[in-house]
Amino acid sequence: MQPKPIEEVTVTINGRKERLAVDPAKRLLDVLREDLGLTGTKEGCGKGECGACTVLIDGRPVNSCLVLVGSVDGHEVLTIEGLAQPDAAMHPVQQAFVEQGAIQCGFCTPGAVLTAVSLVDSQPAADEEAIRRYMAGNLCRCTGYTKIVSAVKTAYEILSERKGAGRRKKEC
Amino acid sequence: MTKDCRKWGVGARTVRPDAEAKVRGEALYLADMKVNGMLHAALVTSPVASGHIESLGLDHVREEPGVQIVLSADDLRGANQIGIIFDDQPLLAAGRVRMVGERLALIAADSEEQAWAAVRAAKPQIAAEPGVFDVADALSPNAPKVHDSGNLIKEFVMHRGHMDDIESRADLVIEGEYRIGGQEHAYMEGQGAIVIPGPGGTLTVYSSTQCPFYVRQRICRMTGLAEADVRVVQTVTGGAFGGKEDYPDEPACCAAVLALRAHRPVRLVLPREVDFQGSTKRHRMVVRHQLYALNSGRILGAKVEILVDAGAYAGMSTVVAERANSSCIGPYHVDAVQVSTKVCYTNNLFGGPFRGFGAPQVSAAHEQQMNRLAWKLGLDPVAVRRTNLLNHDRPTLATGEVLPCADMGPKTLDEAVFHSKWQPRWNESVKSVAGVIDPEAQGDRYRDGMGVGTIVYGCSLHHGGLLLDRGGASMILQADGTVNVAIGVTEMGQGALAAARAIASQGLGISQERIRVREVDSAMVPDSGPTVASRATLIAGRAIMDATKILADRLRNIAADLLGRVPAPQLEFGNDRITDPVSGRFVSFSEAVTALYGRRENPAAVGWFRPPDREYDDESGQGGAYIFYAFATQVARVRVDTWTGMVQVRQVTAAHDVGRAIHPPSLEGQIQGGVVQSMGWATMEDLLLDQGVLQNPGFTNYHIPTATDAPDVRIVLLEEGTPEGPYGAKGIGEPSFIPGGAAILGAVSDALGIELTELPLTPQRVRMAVEAAQTSSPEGK
Ligand code: FES
Ligand code: FES
Repeated sequence: MQPKPIEEVTVTINGRKERLAVDPAKRLLDVLREDLGLTGTKEGCGKGECGACTVLIDGRPVNSCLVLVGSVDGHEVLTIEGLAQPDAAMHPVQQAFVEQGAIQCGFCTPGAVLTAVSLVDSQPAADEEAIRRYMAGNLCRCTGYTKIVSAVKTAYEILSERKGAGRRKKEC
Repeated sequence: MTKDCRKWGVGARTVRPDAEAKVRGEALYLADMKVNGMLHAALVTSPVASGHIESLGLDHVREEPGVQIVLSADDLRGANQIGIIFDDQPLLAAGRVRMVGERLALIAADSEEQAWAAVRAAKPQIAAEPGVFDVADALSPNAPKVHDSGNLIKEFVMHRGHMDDIESRADLVIEGEYRIGGQEHAYMEGQGAIVIPGPGGTLTVYSSTQCPFYVRQRICRMTGLAEADVRVVQTVTGGAFGGKEDYPDEPACCAAVLALRAHRPVRLVLPREVDFQGSTKRHRMVVRHQLYALNSGRILGAKVEILVDAGAYAGMSTVVAERANSSCIGPYHVDAVQVSTKVCYTNNLFGGPFRGFGAPQVSAAHEQQMNRLAWKLGLDPVAVRRTNLLNHDRPTLATGEVLPCADMGPKTLDEAVFHSKWQPRWNESVKSVAGVIDPEAQGDRYRDGMGVGTIVYGCSLHHGGLLLDRGGASMILQADGTVNVAIGVTEMGQGALAAARAIASQGLGISQERIRVREVDSAMVPDSGPTVASRATLIAGRAIMDATKILADRLRNIAADLLGRVPAPQLEFGNDRITDPVSGRFVSFSEAVTALYGRRENPAAVGWFRPPDREYDDESGQGGAYIFYAFATQVARVRVDTWTGMVQVRQVTAAHDVGRAIHPPSLEGQIQGGVVQSMGWATMEDLLLDQGVLQNPGFTNYHIPTATDAPDVRIVLLEEGTPEGPYGAKGIGEPSFIPGGAAILGAVSDALGIELTELPLTPQRVRMAVEAAQTSSPEGK
């Protein structure tokens, strides 16, 4: 086997600039999980089919199993670990997933949360159908999606509450 | 309605204990764990379903970069046997292969990439031999033998009453042959294990599993190690659905064999395609069902023959078949039945446990039989069910068991019918199923329909598994008033930890926040049997209740003293207090625990639950098969595109006899998830097998429901309790799945006016049925 070419790739990961000496043909998913220890990004299929490995690249959801690390040179990557630091409060989308019970086995959760973050960031309001369409790339075998959809709706409510647009009804 | 915002006890709508770690990406699943010096394993598997191994072609594998160890059957030191019920399955194929994906050799290398790259250097030579690929052919005299013992693994029967009597009394017989498809579990986290050898030949095993005690048992058998020397720790498990009942033992045994040879930790994580091609599936079944009935719609009995495609190895197929056998009449009263269930070897991928455990397949058949009876007689399918459902006047199941909760069947039916606004298509015009589709009429492209499925499910293990039907829980009151609970059943996403915590919280009257429940560690808690059969809440719950009772009695005496000689028995636990209801005075739970520690009393307890014995006769299939039963009715509303054959499930109303909702958010999640998984099985998930080779081993071609496919799920809970259940709870994991397929089969038939007999109803199958109906109908061309 040929030794792998090593190059320097500069990428901002969770707000921190990283200079990585890696094979640029390595999958972003593997760099995150193996080299950087960011195991919150999951591998469910390795083929771009399930969405478990979703990260945000410049704010847009991407399957990191399909991305070669060389191609994110100069870009910004956000993983679930960067959405809220361990001792900081959760992001509104995370808070909504927890409140709504949208988490069962949790394996799809980091990817689904990041897709939902990009939805609430990019569209001021989305109705149920739009939410379902946006989330369709994130497979979940446990929840049947009902509570995931409710969580995204709740995330919108939390965000608008934060903007001072009235209080939302909380379950408990 | 005011929401119950209590934070203690059962029924409280609390946040799951594992939610925050999961949503922050902090939960460690198997593949997230690394161990110093760890090797990575990979599998060489058979591309051929039936054949004779001429050579394994491993010579080049050993020279591949990073490869440390290569093992084939000849290199194994212990027993080369992984069968769980029958000794029919080698860990590594020897001489013969019987299914695609069967393991030929194990590789351990320095990196995961190297290990799987080395697999590609293997060049096994396998001379293909004729195989059996349709279970309907398995028992024909000239079928190739999958195993030397022949293709019939086992037959189960059920006999009740006099068949000849009902044959002569019946006004009509509804006959149907149902071909029901299999299903891939498609847990989002694939299978895997890490095995770490320790001093003195001990092993620590991390496994993504439903059944850590099965993993331990099979590693011990394979390696000869003692149970006390093999510690199995369940890692956070990313979904299971039955797919991690027995199958995880295989990767765990592979890793164990390699780790013992290498004297180094070994991790094996199956890539999705290997997992798809090699792991167990829901059984494909053929159900031949003859229903004997009167013109009034009353059924007298049934004659049923079931063929179960076990695939190449028996695995747990016989246990699955046992449940299919005893469930195939459904929740109806009959005078006589004659059932035979044959479990057969084929060269297909092997079958295994999957949510519902054989019941969904036979339920689809018995429910469609009820529909066809109704349509034949011009009756409403709901009315025919009402005429025949068990109730307090006729509470006896086809197994002869008398159900004290028999009225729950009609109650779930009434609720589901009411909340779904039941109005099937046949009602609209004449009292018959709507006519066939007119290919010319534009407006006829989309057809709506409704269908209903009613089932009864025996919770926990069948009598045949009685020996395993027990479980433990250990609890420690910590000095600061927090509590540790260890249980023997597993969390795999369904909410077992949340339910266990709620029950412990109820027993001690304290906030759920104070209680920590962890994943199973086989060195900490007695073997509690498998986490299957919707038994987790029952087994862990009753064992926890036993433990909390011991602890509460100790605290009660202490509190009685602290309150100044109040009679201990009258004290009540709740709201983090121990209260004397007579005077209203109380001590806080923490004060009582501090006093317990002050007196150096025992702060720990082990609880145990031993379900009652049951009598059951294998020869007749009669007796008390299960501990108690849960009824359910689901109504599906579908829209069928008759041009493309696409079935859209728009809404499912699910009425469930749950006994008691222990942790309501988890319970709802189980129902919503079960409904959608069932809808996937019934409409889109098609295991395309060609000569035993799975043609669609990935999510691109094996479609599971996405957020846009999932129907609107309406839940109706009936909470009437059951004396054996913890605080009245029954099981929900499987009842949530079982009726859905039946309801959808009925709904699509209703929409099209065609009596369908196959699942899944993929676009292709629906189109074929529509075309066949058009050509055979008198108005058709
Ligand atoms: S792991 Fe990347 S899409 Fe499935
Ligand atoms: S919660 Fe298990 S896959 Fe989504």
